[in-house]
Amino acid sequence: MAERTYLQAISDGLRQEMRRDKRVFVIGEDVGVYGGAFKVTLGFQEEFGAWRVIDAPLSETAIVGGCTGAALMGMRPVAEMQFADFVSCAWDHLVTVAAKQFYRAGTPVPMVVRLPSGGGFSGGPFHSQNPESSFAHIPGLKCVCPATPEDAKGLLATAIEDPNPVLYFEHKHLYRRLKAEVPEERYTIPFGEARTHRVGEDISVITWGAMVHTADEAAEELAKEDVSVEVVDLRTVMPWDRKAVLASVEKTSKVLVLHEDTRTGGFGAEIAATIAEEAFESLDAPVKRIAAPDSPVPFSPPLEKAFIPQVETVASGLRELAAY
Amino acid sequence: MATGTIIDVVMPQMGVSVSEGTIVKWLKSEGETIEADEALLEISTDKVDTEVPSPGTGVVAKILVHEGETVDVGTKLAEIAPEGAGPAVAEPEPAVEPEPAVEPELAPEPATAAAAAEADAPSSAESPGPAAPAAPAVPAETPAPAAAGDSSENGKSFVSPVVARIAAEHGVDVGTIQGTGQGGRVTKKDILAFIESGPAPAPAAPPEAAPTEAEPVAPAAPTEPSAQPTAPPVIANAQPQAAGTGETLEPMNAMRRGIAEHMRRSLDTAAHVTSAIEVDMSKVVAIREKLKASYQKDYGVNPTYLAFVGRAAVDTLHDYPWINGELRDDQIVTRNYVNLGIAVELADGKGLIVPVIKNAEGLNLLGLARSITDIAARARDKKLLPDDVQGGTFTITNPGGYGTFHGTPVISQPQAGILGTYALVKRPWVVQDALGNDVLAIRPIMNITLTYDHRLVDGALAGRFLHDVREKLQSWGEDRY
Amino acid sequence: MTIAREADPVAAEAELRNSGLDREDLLTVYRNMLLTRGIEERGHILYKQGKIPGSFYTGRGNEGAAVGIATAMGPDDVGAPLHRDMGVHITRGVEPWRIIANYMGKEDGPARGKDGNVHMADARLGLIAMVSHLPAMLPVAVGAALAFRIREESRVAIGWFGEGSAARGDAHEAMNLAGVRRLPMVFVCDNNQWAYSTPTHLGFATPNIADRARSYGFEGVVVDGTDVLAVYREAKRAIEKARSGGGPTLIECMTLRMEGHAVHDDAFYVPKDMFEEWAKHDPIERFRTWLKDYADLREQEEEEIAADLKKLLNEAIRRAEESPLPDPATVTEGVYAAPEDLDTPHHK
Repeated sequence: MAERTYLQAISDGLRQEMRRDKRVFVIGEDVGVYGGAFKVTLGFQEEFGAWRVIDAPLSETAIVGGCTGAALMGMRPVAEMQFADFVSCAWDHLVTVAAKQFYRAGTPVPMVVRLPSGGGFSGGPFHSQNPESSFAHIPGLKCVCPATPEDAKGLLATAIEDPNPVLYFEHKHLYRRLKAEVPEERYTIPFGEARTHRVGEDISVITWGAMVHTADEAAEELAKEDVSVEVVDLRTVMPWDRKAVLASVEKTSKVLVLHEDTRTGGFGAEIAATIAEEAFESLDAPVKRIAAPDSPVPFSPPLEKAFIPQVETVASGLRELAAY
Repeated sequence: MATGTIIDVVMPQMGVSVSEGTIVKWLKSEGETIEADEALLEISTDKVDTEVPSPGTGVVAKILVHEGETVDVGTKLAEIAPEGAGPAVAEPEPAVEPEPAVEPELAPEPATAAAAAEADAPSSAESPGPAAPAAPAVPAETPAPAAAGDSSENGKSFVSPVVARIAAEHGVDVGTIQGTGQGGRVTKKDILAFIESGPAPAPAAPPEAAPTEAEPVAPAAPTEPSAQPTAPPVIANAQPQAAGTGETLEPMNAMRRGIAEHMRRSLDTAAHVTSAIEVDMSKVVAIREKLKASYQKDYGVNPTYLAFVGRAAVDTLHDYPWINGELRDDQIVTRNYVNLGIAVELADGKGLIVPVIKNAEGLNLLGLARSITDIAARARDKKLLPDDVQGGTFTITNPGGYGTFHGTPVISQPQAGILGTYALVKRPWVVQDALGNDVLAIRPIMNITLTYDHRLVDGALAGRFLHDVREKLQSWGEDRY
Repeated sequence: MTIAREADPVAAEAELRNSGLDREDLLTVYRNMLLTRGIEERGHILYKQGKIPGSFYTGRGNEGAAVGIATAMGPDDVGAPLHRDMGVHITRGVEPWRIIANYMGKEDGPARGKDGNVHMADARLGLIAMVSHLPAMLPVAVGAALAFRIREESRVAIGWFGEGSAARGDAHEAMNLAGVRRLPMVFVCDNNQWAYSTPTHLGFATPNIADRARSYGFEGVVVDGTDVLAVYREAKRAIEKARSGGGPTLIECMTLRMEGHAVHDDAFYVPKDMFEEWAKHDPIERFRTWLKDYADLREQEEEEIAADLKKLLNEAIRRAEESPLPDPATVTEGVYAAPEDLDTPHHK
């Protein structure tokens, strides 16, 4: 065990996989010489060489499409989008080729696309998004959203092993702010398995990514008011752990679905609809959602603070549910 | 920058994921002057080492973080005093408060169920009647799902899916449970606590409760805890709430719970409407004066106004079988007898009970007065038998003992009506003189109410009933008993 | 004025001997071209008979280009052909009955009914299934070449695209990356002069697509796409260059799309005289003539080949018709791969 930041855990995990499996290679912008915009691959090119840590031209399509081709040929590419926001340039390839290739042609595409996502530091509209819902919607793709250093490492190993295209959303605002004890050895965490971040009795919060910590802080406040809040960290958005969510709702009968992505059509809508459909008779209150409002991510701090769900907002929502 | 106020120097954020920085070197010391944009210190972060330019011109007044220290982004590192600055007055931070989610407005509830709304102060009274002071139902601003049409109206009766399911699983009538949720609805916690603690015993003789027929009692609740299937064990009894400042807490006793349950259920069952009529009791007063002494001497019985009203009412009920009737499923039950319930206030004032005088139609004034005295005494002495509190077909309550002149009692289920009698008050009254002219007189006036179940009894019928009762009282003959 | 190199036509048999194709091989080339056309003609009829759902695309007039490139591929090379390149599938050895089954949406087509017409590929034969968003397969082919480069394998990837699709960013990004990294890649542009109804002068502003190659750091060559042996020669050159680390080449095969964009298009916008002119350059006819002249192709041989193919096609159609339609219950099967599925020939 060692104390590692969220970023270090990802870096460690990636390095471990590259040492373990020669088929794994990294490609992205500024990942080689520069070590990655966020320094996730710092030192990698020195260790693995320029043909396993490839500095690509500014070409998300070529990067992602290239990974598809390489994966079809048996490699295990790990692409880095410099910001999750730029994946829109490669959306076509993910959705058109990568997602559908196994279905149509029986040839798996075992690739990973790492996506530094999320906001909270005045990154503005193009450096702060959480685009997981649009990809969770595409059959054939998997979406992973770790919230802790330990989960980040284990989920990355699983992602690289997975024979499907996996979008790995690493929340950049957690990179250096979270530290935890992380096992040094290799381990995997299965997809589609949620983790109860905090056990509670009165209300369930279903969430992922950085919002797990926001929910936790809000739960701490509510605990002082004698309301016991459970926080369920989905860890992966596609597939997502339906069973765990329904079990938690069964227990508390009051549920808040929380995500940093915008509200309309955010993945929380899918979860809320599923809860309403499958846990109707367990509900003691309407299924509540808290998410960012339907706007691009604003730049100015007061605007951004009004955009990203804050602890007070979540606590307020929890109080409403408690009183219902 | 600000004229005369201190300028703060803070740790900058050098990159989107950077959260802290380290002071490498101060390029100026306290007391030295510095120009705006001039390099003030060197810092080191995960991403980059850089110089920090001064945010203003002035003198380095205070250095707060020293070389080698690592602090979070945004931490104040130093203060710069512009030339001629006064004492440090920090610029008020522009308060950036994101609006938290709007708290649901707690609007007072418009009158809901008829009777309940008119909470005339309940005397702690005998009747099962004094309607619960209308707890303003909080309309949920989030629309109550499913059943709720107008949520504010349904606050009290909305049953959430999980509560419905648990109720069905345990055969519990949700209406028998007191709700602590929004609008008074029964929450999951409420019903689970209810099931766990077992139902309240009948408000009958406190010792021996459990008349299995359960008239004024929570119906159908499985009384044996053992009979419950695997109740969801997770939610334990509702966490006992701690008393707030200035508050004291005491548990409800069985009788209180029984009353509470019955009141709630009655209001939820019957469509309560109250009609009132003022009765000139002069004749009754006069006769009573005459009879008082002899009744006391010969029978040891006090002919109370209640006995007179009771006699008149029972007599009248003969002509109004529905008011003495009952709605049972889809059928109207009428009887050829009147079991008259009399609401009795218990000695400590903390409860009430309604013993029943069986076959009151066969009792004259004396008989009725006697029965009333007897059951009241037995009630206060806790000597009532289960049979004494069952089978009532109509009830009279007398909350007027404290001077109140009006009320809206709650019907004792499953009856169709309850008569309320109130204080006898001397009022100026318009009467006819010998010549038939209107003159003022002072008369003893008693307000009498009939609270009836409008599902069965309409206003006109109630009105006629009260009219007839009044007639009997106002024309009481000396020879009537 | 084009800046790409213009390939010489194939002049004499002697030149050909140097390329390594013996008579057998030549007849195989011929057969493959005939089979390509035969499948598409028969499929065309089946389509009009309502036996093939969806739409129907042919590469009539492109047989020489497709077969020519594919013949030059090594056994372990990989290609991502498009819908005018049925000749590539045939040359690599995809069984005709499975192609027709694919047209029909049957279980036994390479796409198992999940995708139709030429959106199919047999990975065991080194083929990658195309998508509709052209030229999306170019970055994918480049990715394959990248894998070969990383693993230092002497394999080559070939990516096809049409002159119309060259307008999309995928083409640029793919070629740019391939050029920057000198990947073992051959880009083949099927320039059949019409992108649906869009003529070339509305698609790009240079005389040839191959002109762009220089801006990506490699050579472009324009070749007569109806001259199968010229195509073969250029393909061989480019593939071997790539294999030996010389980087990519862009080969532009000039043809005319002899039918509409798809069967539902009658190509009214193509000038009649263009059709007439290019009909004279029918690749199969050209090659037959050449074979007669230089390879001693006899009439009897021709007839045997024709009869053989006819039988083959009849059999293929029969077998495809007998193949079952997929079970509706399997509609969501195969959305995600399981670890066991990683056992395809290329996932090593």
